[in-house]
Amino acid sequence: MSANRSRILILFVVGLFVVLGLRLFHIQIVDHSYRRAAENNVLRYEVQYPPRGEIYDRNGEFLAQSVASYDLMVVPRNIPKTGFDTVALAKIAGVSVEQLVKGLQSAKSYSSSRASVVVRQLTTEAKLLFDEGGFDGFYTLFRTQRSYPRKIAGNLLGYIGQVNDKIIERNPYYGRGDYIGYSGIESAYEELLRGEKGEKVSVVDVRGTIKGPYQEGHYDRAPVAGIPITTTIDAQLQEYAEVLMEGKVGSIIAIEPSTGEILVMVSSPTYDPDELMGRDRGNNYVKMLNNPRQPLFNRAVMSSYPPGSTFKLVNGLIGLQEGVVTPSRRYPCAEGYHVGRGVKCHDHRSPLNLKEATANSCNAYFCYVFRDILDNPTRGGIMNGGYDNWAKYVRSFGFGERLGSDFASERGGFVPTSKFYDDYYPKWNSLTIISMAIGQGELGCSPLQMANLAATIANRGYYYIPHVVKHIDGHDSLDRRFYERHYTMVEERHFEPIIDGMWGTVHREIGTAGVAYVKGLDICGKTGTAQNPHGKDHSTFLAFAPKDDPKIAISVYVENGGFGSSVAAPIASLLMEKYLTGEVKRPELEEYIKNMKIAYPNYEKRK
Amino acid sequence: MRSVNDKLGWAKIDWKTILVYVALVFIGWLNIYAAVYNDAMGGGFDLSARYGMQLIWIGISAVAAIVILLIDDIYYHQLAYPAYGLMLLVLLATLFVGHTVNGARSWLVFGPVSVQPAEFMKVAAALALARFMSSYNFSLSHWKDIVGVGVVLLVPIFIILLQNDMGSALVYCSFLMVLFREGLNPWVYYALFLIVGLFVGSFLLSPVALLVLLVLLFVVTQFVANRNVRESVGYVAATGLLSIVIYALSWAAQWGVSYYHSLLVASLVMLIPALLYAYRHKLSNIYLYGAMFVLSLLFLGAVDYVFNDVLQLHQQKRILDLLGLESDLKGWGYNVHQSKIAIGSGGFFGKGFLDGTQTKYDFIPEQSTDFIFCTVGEEWGFVGSVVVLVLFATLIIRLMKMGERQQEPFRRVYCYGVAGIFLFHTIINIGMTIGLMPVIGIPLPMFSYGGSSLLAFTVLFFIAVRLDSQNSSIGETYKFY
Repeated sequence: MSANRSRILILFVVGLFVVLGLRLFHIQIVDHSYRRAAENNVLRYEVQYPPRGEIYDRNGEFLAQSVASYDLMVVPRNIPKTGFDTVALAKIAGVSVEQLVKGLQSAKSYSSSRASVVVRQLTTEAKLLFDEGGFDGFYTLFRTQRSYPRKIAGNLLGYIGQVNDKIIERNPYYGRGDYIGYSGIESAYEELLRGEKGEKVSVVDVRGTIKGPYQEGHYDRAPVAGIPITTTIDAQLQEYAEVLMEGKVGSIIAIEPSTGEILVMVSSPTYDPDELMGRDRGNNYVKMLNNPRQPLFNRAVMSSYPPGSTFKLVNGLIGLQEGVVTPSRRYPCAEGYHVGRGVKCHDHRSPLNLKEATANSCNAYFCYVFRDILDNPTRGGIMNGGYDNWAKYVRSFGFGERLGSDFASERGGFVPTSKFYDDYYPKWNSLTIISMAIGQGELGCSPLQMANLAATIANRGYYYIPHVVKHIDGHDSLDRRFYERHYTMVEERHFEPIIDGMWGTVHREIGTAGVAYVKGLDICGKTGTAQNPHGKDHSTFLAFAPKDDPKIAISVYVENGGFGSSVAAPIASLLMEKYLTGEVKRPELEEYIKNMKIAYPNYEKRK
Repeated sequence: MRSVNDKLGWAKIDWKTILVYVALVFIGWLNIYAAVYNDAMGGGFDLSARYGMQLIWIGISAVAAIVILLIDDIYYHQLAYPAYGLMLLVLLATLFVGHTVNGARSWLVFGPVSVQPAEFMKVAAALALARFMSSYNFSLSHWKDIVGVGVVLLVPIFIILLQNDMGSALVYCSFLMVLFREGLNPWVYYALFLIVGLFVGSFLLSPVALLVLLVLLFVVTQFVANRNVRESVGYVAATGLLSIVIYALSWAAQWGVSYYHSLLVASLVMLIPALLYAYRHKLSNIYLYGAMFVLSLLFLGAVDYVFNDVLQLHQQKRILDLLGLESDLKGWGYNVHQSKIAIGSGGFFGKGFLDGTQTKYDFIPEQSTDFIFCTVGEEWGFVGSVVVLVLFATLIIRLMKMGERQQEPFRRVYCYGVAGIFLFHTIINIGMTIGLMPVIGIPLPMFSYGGSSLLAFTVLFFIAVRLDSQNSSIGETYKFY
């Protein structure tokens, strides 16, 4: 009996120890979650932020810089139970006590043991004050902040902001609190500019005090600084262009024809990019969103305008190539083209040849040319390929589709297909769409496409895709698409008569833009006065200079500016003068343009 | 035969068991060192640190062990009752002049030294129990003697409970082991297991499952006793069928009776044929099983009532957490959670001596006392943990075997008492750190930091070794009558 009981007891003891052993086997070997939990306890992963790559202009001037800034972080669990001096900390951080408390609450609701940001963007001085203060549970994290020393080119440079949840979900690189470029160059070259985040793995104790690097820093990764980018922008010219555009809504784009490099890109009204950095960013952003003139809308690449008379250049070129017109061919104009609905024209002498009609911007002349292109019997007439043939020519100039510049937000404008009209009209012919002869009607072009047209004509028949980046550090070349010549369907020899006409616009008595004349610069241009449903005509001017070996091609588009010669042409002329000679010798014209304010009742109405 | 030159019986000392004990003390000290260790400590050795203090206590314990081995075993028998009485007085005194730590007024402070009398009470109680149970004509089948045992154990339990030291009081459950060995009615143990099982089951199982298990349990037990296969199977089938019929009827009549209640009614109704069967076949044990079945149902109802209507929210939470049904990681469950993390993260080989991150960076509260096993689990891994388990199991089983080879009940009862105390502390403490046992603040023998506990365990253990070494061979006269 007792021997039996002793055996039972031994079995019982062994059984108990076996149970303990099995449980240990389970939690130490089978279940790996404890290992992860232990790492969560003891390891703190800190992101090491790299400085964002700088952005330079073509002459090496800073457009965007990275300056040191510190985020105030907190691990709520580690704040002493006795509390801390909120007033002192708020003062150091430069926020109100309420803001600080709010930040703390949101940090607490995120996690009590993990770090979160309480106050963003402390200056270096504030950081040093904080370090002296010794606030348990808080620490600072090095970040960089953007600064835009010249305060120009808001839409061109774009802005950066914190990533949202959608971006984090789509792209695993980004984490809570990271910055990303949201528009302009900041967005287009985000992957180069951002650099690569690093990581520091530290061991912390139960109070969150860092006890040292984990495994001698074996798992640390140093951050890689963002790559600096040199843009094609000429900062001084850009600044001057922005000054000239003050008080006007519209856009200026200047391109170096021999390379496709964008020298100036203005979308007016513009904004100081610094306003979208720092603590007031939110307020400023909302203010800009609510501004009826839409400063955040990059008109230079996103808007779609009727090109107006500048488009006559395209029709003239197509006519020459198609052989339906010759430089010496004359057409009469009795204040308009009076077939069908008809197109009016201004009072000028008649008849004119191609060069004269270009310089004088005769509507009737280009109606003849346009109809002859469309109805050309050798092309089968308008309904059997004549129209599509014309549209194909137009597209070869880069219209109707995105050019493929480095702006992700670029839009392609609109060149209708014959199917578009088939769907729209039960029956149509060349008279139905006659307004496209003079760049009106359904056509829509972005300012970038118009500037590209100027560059194409300056090059006598080809263009490089306009782009804004000249050099990326550590890269020998840009994307190869920027080195390819895109030829139009018009041969080189047909460009001279049109260019002569453009020269005449500025230099001959008959020309519409004598105001653009600058001695010795041989400016070639074409005015445009685009009718539009939003009020007064848009003033546009398209030009390049000098005539031989052009250095700059430019498109100026001023909404509701009236005649092309009244606003756009002087602006283009001043910019070319400044770019080619280094100074402007027409102070009266300069002052006149600077002080010109255009009323925009249609924008103000929208609000 | 004892040699004349070895009057103290040192030649018969069980050195192997002492070796196991010393190994545990040594490993325990290493782990206290690791638990206290941190990078800032530098290489120096600091006697005032916990590992230094513990070393001093190890020294004191060693001296105590030698002294114990030098005292003739007759004195342990003679001093059992006086020591018991004296310790009761000290416990009572502590109740009035003691210091309160963690809510328990259980410490006496003499200058720099703090002592926990409850630790030493165990020694006196083990001796007194051994003496009482070895007295002439003692038998655990006599009600009078059982009451006597109850008094010897319940008096210290009562005083310790007054000190609000639940853990130390629960340790006296360990004497259930020696009582079993000495012949206490096994039904006491069946009942205990049934109560614990029902209690845990009432939380972990659905009511239907629990009821089905209960019916099966009692039918199977009576089958084992009565060998009536046809009747047993038929009875279970009939009960099941009846429950389904009741459920179907209630559904048809739209009474809205749940299946649990249908089964409950069926099983109670089926008690009637069972009792008739017992009467006809003169199987009296079936009355007993039937009664236990009804008592079990009543007990389950009582558990429900007490849990929902008597216990307060924090007590409910504590029970639920222990059973793994709910976790309050911010409150007291934090300790166990962190402890499991530390041990679980040790993996197979552990993180290495002094390389345990959870212990080194203070994630575990009480890591050198109640939760010292975390250090073992984290730094030595599964391998080290198993080594420690095996050493403890070896020590305890050797103590039991030591008890078995004694000729006199006094020695045997004492050895088993000591084995039980070691077993209870070890299983409860380690079980607690890995979430198998409730959080009861009792130390892991030889491991947990604390002089009283180490000294008390040493005294307990070496008295057993001493008694064993002077165990009389067959034919010699018994000393203790």
